[in-house]
Amino acid sequence: MMGKMIAWLRGKNNTRPATPARPQHYWGIVKRQFRNHRLANWALRGLYCFIFIAVFGDFLANDKPIYCKIENEHHFPVFREYAVNLGLATWQGEFFRKDWDEHNYQTKWMPPIPYSSTSLDRKNTNSKSPFGPQKIADFRYWHWLGTDDLGRDVAAGLIKGARVAMQVGMVSMLIATLIGVFLGTLAGYFGDYRLQISRARILCNGIAAFLSYFYGIQTRMFVLQETEAFGWELSKSIVLILFFFSLLNALVSLCKKIPFFAQKIRLPIDLIVMRTIEILNSIPGLLLILSIVAILDKPSIFYLMIFIGLIGWTGIARFIRAEMLRIRQLDYIQAAQSIGLKDWQIMLQHAIPNALTPVLITIAFGIAGAILLESTLSFLGVGVQVDAVTWGALLREARANFSAWWLAIFPGLAIFVTVSLFNLVGEGLADAMDPNQKQ
Amino acid sequence: MFRYLLKRVLIAGFTLWVISLVAFFLTSIAPGDAVMCGREEWSEDAYGSIDYEISAKRLGLDKPLFYFSLHSLSHPDTLHRYLSKDKKESLTNLVAQYGNWEATERYHHSIENCWSKIASLSDTIPSQFVNPVRNTCGDLRFQYKDNKIVAFLTKLEIQIAKDAALAAQLGNEFKAIQSSYQTLTDNPTRWKLYVPSLAWHGFDNQYHNWFSGFLSGDFGISCTDSRPVIDKIKWSLWWTVVMSIAAIILAFLIAIPIGVYAATQHGKIFDRWSGAILFLLYSLPSFWVATLMVVFFTTAEYGEWTNIFASIGLGQLSSSAPFWDRFWEAANHLILPILCITYPALAVISRQMRGGMITVLRQDYIRTAKAKGLSQTQVIWKHAFRNGLFPIITLFANAFPAAVGGSVVIEVIFNIHGMGLTTFNAINAQDWPVVYAIMMLGAVLTILGILIADLCYVWADPRVTFENRKL
Repeated sequence: MMGKMIAWLRGKNNTRPATPARPQHYWGIVKRQFRNHRLANWALRGLYCFIFIAVFGDFLANDKPIYCKIENEHHFPVFREYAVNLGLATWQGEFFRKDWDEHNYQTKWMPPIPYSSTSLDRKNTNSKSPFGPQKIADFRYWHWLGTDDLGRDVAAGLIKGARVAMQVGMVSMLIATLIGVFLGTLAGYFGDYRLQISRARILCNGIAAFLSYFYGIQTRMFVLQETEAFGWELSKSIVLILFFFSLLNALVSLCKKIPFFAQKIRLPIDLIVMRTIEILNSIPGLLLILSIVAILDKPSIFYLMIFIGLIGWTGIARFIRAEMLRIRQLDYIQAAQSIGLKDWQIMLQHAIPNALTPVLITIAFGIAGAILLESTLSFLGVGVQVDAVTWGALLREARANFSAWWLAIFPGLAIFVTVSLFNLVGEGLADAMDPNQKQ
Repeated sequence: MFRYLLKRVLIAGFTLWVISLVAFFLTSIAPGDAVMCGREEWSEDAYGSIDYEISAKRLGLDKPLFYFSLHSLSHPDTLHRYLSKDKKESLTNLVAQYGNWEATERYHHSIENCWSKIASLSDTIPSQFVNPVRNTCGDLRFQYKDNKIVAFLTKLEIQIAKDAALAAQLGNEFKAIQSSYQTLTDNPTRWKLYVPSLAWHGFDNQYHNWFSGFLSGDFGISCTDSRPVIDKIKWSLWWTVVMSIAAIILAFLIAIPIGVYAATQHGKIFDRWSGAILFLLYSLPSFWVATLMVVFFTTAEYGEWTNIFASIGLGQLSSSAPFWDRFWEAANHLILPILCITYPALAVISRQMRGGMITVLRQDYIRTAKAKGLSQTQVIWKHAFRNGLFPIITLFANAFPAAVGGSVVIEVIFNIHGMGLTTFNAINAQDWPVVYAIMMLGAVLTILGILIADLCYVWADPRVTFENRKL
């Protein structure tokens, strides 16, 4: 199917005949064009560094040694911490009794930054400057980017913040992409006139929605609120809802026996999706997300990611819709229809893969936007825990303490660099995929 | 044209209606008791007092929430008459456990009886006996978990028995609580929980009053200080509009010439460098720049010479001061925030302008104009510019709402009492009427902006016609 994409690309400028010796893959073209964009290439390398820092942050900044030897026993505390968090292991007794700096180490390999984002250096509270005097035992323990009010190391905080930023970007854009691709494809492929649904199916799904709401959510509200095992009760509700929907959809064919319900009606899916997008876009984004996260009982970065995703899909949906409007006119889709493939088959196997590549551009910009939105919210202190370590939260501390310039400079710089990296990669992709620039 | 306009207005109305539903839904699940908010001096005991009732009625909380409600058969239609949010919640939860509203209500009344009896106890009973009883009974009023209720009942029994006079006066009330609770737990009608019932509440409900009020310009009452919301946001709206308009004008004044010039220099040094610099500016988080400006340029923390601008806030001149004095005072305070709102927009505007101009400059009629011997200036500004302006119009429509929303964080940093700071403060004070009124206003502004942009299309490009346009 990529071949068809290339055919389309070629169609734009027919000046050069295809060279049969070296078959060109669509991705190959995009890659080559991307490599021509020098800045975007550097941005991509920077992005790899960012991902490395986010993934291996625990080995870069940690108050536990990576490897240590105590009383002739070998320990790997950082690794062990992962196992403990996963419930696979427990800490040995001596690590409970003493703090990490109180052991008699025979050998100790510390990470490059020997502080974790939450560890409080009690000797260096009240925001120590990176250039000023610091009370440290050894130059190895110097706070390279200073400390904050509580004595937390800023560099360790930045590394932890990188992980949060990556999670925010990935989770929110994953949600946004799923919703956006789904709705955008439906809207673009079917338009207002081509989606025909029998009355029976609408009726059955309506009933199922009602039953799911009443028995899956409303009558179980008390249980869901009060239970200790929230996940278990929630999955019970979800199973119930799935059951209602599959049962009633199975009943559709029975329902169709009645001629009135067997009639098909046109569902203006494009209109519905576009109206929804318009409604979502009518509320200034920051105001909307502020008013939503403000009412959460237990604020958490995790909810923030979900809401950013639930709000941020409109751009992707529009993009996919526009692509679909174009693709559905192409010969190969008509060919697929003429050999009798089902609509969902055509969409899944033939249309979406071709529409998806340009969406990468929107996703790159979307991640930048999500990171920016999250840091704005944690800067304002709305929707995140008070003690969460994120770039925005570190920057917030600078407002309370004007003399600590390092609290203002470094977290902001981290946000700026990350956001620009994603924006630059998005730019590069947009240039590389632009058919007008193809050489 | 007229038909198109009518259709657009209808659609805008629909959009606003859906947004109002969303906003109202969010208000109704927002935490905090609207009556209690902003009244730290009121303890939980306040519920049931006359003051509480008056406040709740003024906020319209004695009305049903919506036109209709879908509940189980066991759920009463009249729950909204209980004014306190906590009380409503505990009653709902009791019903959800036993499905027996009559018994629940009887239990509730027996507690409230006991509670009012405690308040009217004679002074002869020593307070060291009365106070614990009052506290326990107060706690009991909002409990709904069986083990907690049983524990509190036992505690209450012991506390009452400590004093003979107390036992004599409260004995009957306590017995009533105990027996009504026993009745409740012994006669559950849980089957009722699984029968849906739809209740119609009529038009005199909270949503209807709120939305019709909104349409007639009455945005409700702020629950922190009981002032009308409109009074609270009038001045903030003024400052935000001033800032936004200044920022938008500034942004267009700077960005359009850059975009046009970059288009004429397509691919040359100016084009590339202006593009790169504006792109970097675009990626700079505005709240970071604002923080840096506040830290470095409004204080003498880093030497006297960096203290260039007035400090945060709006200055202290009274409204009786001469107009120009006030103007300069405001300008001095507003210049940094306006810059912070302006610069991220530059890249978007200039890029759109550049793109539009490049397309236009390739057209035949531009070549004709050049061939005719017109000067470069004339060609660009007279022939190309108006057509290149086309993509900018969309941006202009989006710029205003974006400025309203985007200035939230800038206003918080520079402490300017605009819509953003008002929203932020209202969120922190859990003053939901203000928060959602602002959200609705933001939506209205956006919808208006889009509508105006569509009309501007017609003005800018006579070829555009909306008659019989198939969407």
